[in-house]
Amino acid sequence: MSASTSSQRVEFQERARQALSDVSLQRAMAKARGGFVDHRRDAVDALPEFDAIRDAARDIKDHVLANLDGYLELYEQKVIENGGQVHWARDADEACRIVAKICKDAEAKTVTKGKSMVSEEIHLNPVLEAAGMTVVETDLGEYIVQLAGETPSHIIAPAVHKTREQITDLFHEHHSPLGYTDRVTQREALVNEARSVLRERFVAADVGITGANFLVAETGANVIVTNEGNGDLTSCLPRVHIVTAGIEKVIPSLDDLSVLLRVLARSATGQEFSAYTSLYSGPRRTDEMEGPEAYHVVLLDNGRSRLLGGQYQPMLRCIRCGACLNHCPVYGAIGGHAYGWVYSGPMGSVLTPLLNGFDQAMDLPNACTLNGRCKEVCPVRIPLSDLLLKHRLEQHDRRLNTNFGRFLLSAWAWLARRPRLYQGVMALPLWLMHRLGKRRGVLSRLPGLGGWTDSRDFPIPARRSFLRQWHTHKARS
Amino acid sequence: MTSARDEILGTLRKSLAAGDPRTLRRLEELRSRIQNSEPQVQPRFDDDLLTRFCQKHVTVHGTYDRISGDGIEAAMVRYLAGLGLDAQWHLGSGPLLDETHWTDQVFVYRKGADKDTKVALSEAFAAVAETGTLVLCSGPAVPSSQNFLPDDHVIIVDGRRIVRHMEDAWAMLRDSGAASGRAINLITGPSKTGDIEQTIQYGAHGPRRLHVLIVEQT
Repeated sequence: MSASTSSQRVEFQERARQALSDVSLQRAMAKARGGFVDHRRDAVDALPEFDAIRDAARDIKDHVLANLDGYLELYEQKVIENGGQVHWARDADEACRIVAKICKDAEAKTVTKGKSMVSEEIHLNPVLEAAGMTVVETDLGEYIVQLAGETPSHIIAPAVHKTREQITDLFHEHHSPLGYTDRVTQREALVNEARSVLRERFVAADVGITGANFLVAETGANVIVTNEGNGDLTSCLPRVHIVTAGIEKVIPSLDDLSVLLRVLARSATGQEFSAYTSLYSGPRRTDEMEGPEAYHVVLLDNGRSRLLGGQYQPMLRCIRCGACLNHCPVYGAIGGHAYGWVYSGPMGSVLTPLLNGFDQAMDLPNACTLNGRCKEVCPVRIPLSDLLLKHRLEQHDRRLNTNFGRFLLSAWAWLARRPRLYQGVMALPLWLMHRLGKRRGVLSRLPGLGGWTDSRDFPIPARRSFLRQWHTHKARS
Repeated sequence: MTSARDEILGTLRKSLAAGDPRTLRRLEELRSRIQNSEPQVQPRFDDDLLTRFCQKHVTVHGTYDRISGDGIEAAMVRYLAGLGLDAQWHLGSGPLLDETHWTDQVFVYRKGADKDTKVALSEAFAAVAETGTLVLCSGPAVPSSQNFLPDDHVIIVDGRRIVRHMEDAWAMLRDSGAASGRAINLITGPSKTGDIEQTIQYGAHGPRRLHVLIVEQT
């Protein structure tokens, strides 16, 4: 085990521990818990065709992935036809260099950003700021975490970890110098204050950077889905529009787009349809009075192309809806920051080791109870919990887990392959635990398993194992 | 040095085991799948299109008025008076709006919206009953800033252009040659955010209110 692996492991566990004892975080997460889940369930219940549409969505994505090179070429042709430019970036550094150069060539002073997970993935903001530009996140949640000097803790609700009191403090601190001296505490007033501060930024911006929920090969459009309209103001108003997107975002046609849109909003927020779904295809046309003068798309690989054709390929179907985060008990307990990178929850635990390597994410595949809810709710049917198991297996095969862990696993495997011995050996602890906990019905302390019993009781097992009872039952009848 | 483009496409082909560089024939196959693309699974509903559209539009916090073609100005004045606003607005373009003769009781500005714009009146290319969505296309006299900067956005739609599913609107866009237009905005209700305590607030960055005038031909 390398030194960086061990330090990363300590970091994750430490971050998770801090998250669990962070009162504000726990309060914010408790408020969010349930809302997303209930709304999604209501939306799904109201659409009898939901599962059939999910199948279709999965098939579209699979078809694209099997022909990704071709669809990217077709998409590129269309963008060029529309008067836009396509740039290809092998990795984060290359993508940042491309975006920074476009901004510098445009002599940009202010850059507004719509929400883009890819721009978070490549850590774009510090690069532009180092080049002397003012970078303003415009999605309200992203804006809040930017003021706080943090990163998003959720794909679609970046500031889910912030309480209203914390937002009040942040706005008061950062908006007072702009003349907003009253300390506002109500939600509506907070939203209005941000609206009015950011409006000045929208009209001042030289360059607007957005992500893309989808890239449509049929028309060369990038599609953004928002409720606020910030992505649209970012796309329409500045002189230059830059789209940053992963190469897996391309889809064939507008009809395919309909299928994916029908599962996206329902899975993400429980809405049938988000307020704004916009298709932007290239710069201002010659007869138009507004729109950007230049339109650029930066297509990011950053490890994605390697995943094609392998056992983790289904992960590239991901449409970043956040449903797996919302349904994950681990995410719900520790929030997004503990995961240590931009992608969190189940999809993050699968993706981070794939894009960054295990030494950056040793613990993530293990921070999972394998309850399978993520896989159940995924709109494109990514078998998330199965992929996490594959990660664990790979860690074991590559001898990346601890020696003690390997020893325990080997010992258990040895035992489990000898059923008679296994039953004999297991009978004793069963009997013992049953006796110890009989009076209270639970065990509140187990030697060596404090990690479990410190925060919850262990239910007492049946006195005799299922197999024994089965044999007795069979013998009787 | 290989370009990033060639290297990425090369890795994709290697990973996909597509073998040698893709033949032109394969690109043609993909192109033809796009050109022959058809609607897939769609939500079924039996309501008539107008009823469904109105019901869905109201669900997402929109308001509407059903009017006749010569009642556009009166409907605007009525709506704005209800909000205590003057009879002036930024004006978009479309078959219905271009035919409207405005009296000197109202002021219309035929230009893009700015940060202080209060009201804009736009015409939808079509509307989708399935989700209560309005489809707006940018164009020479149609600045898309009008869709996002005003406090109040009023959208007029020809009742005959309400279609059943999203795919029906795509088909109309393709037929009219507008599918690759610079901006196609699908608008479903006013701007909103849930970013503070996951509680919905209207008027995040875009319009605080969305009002639809449905023009019914008699």
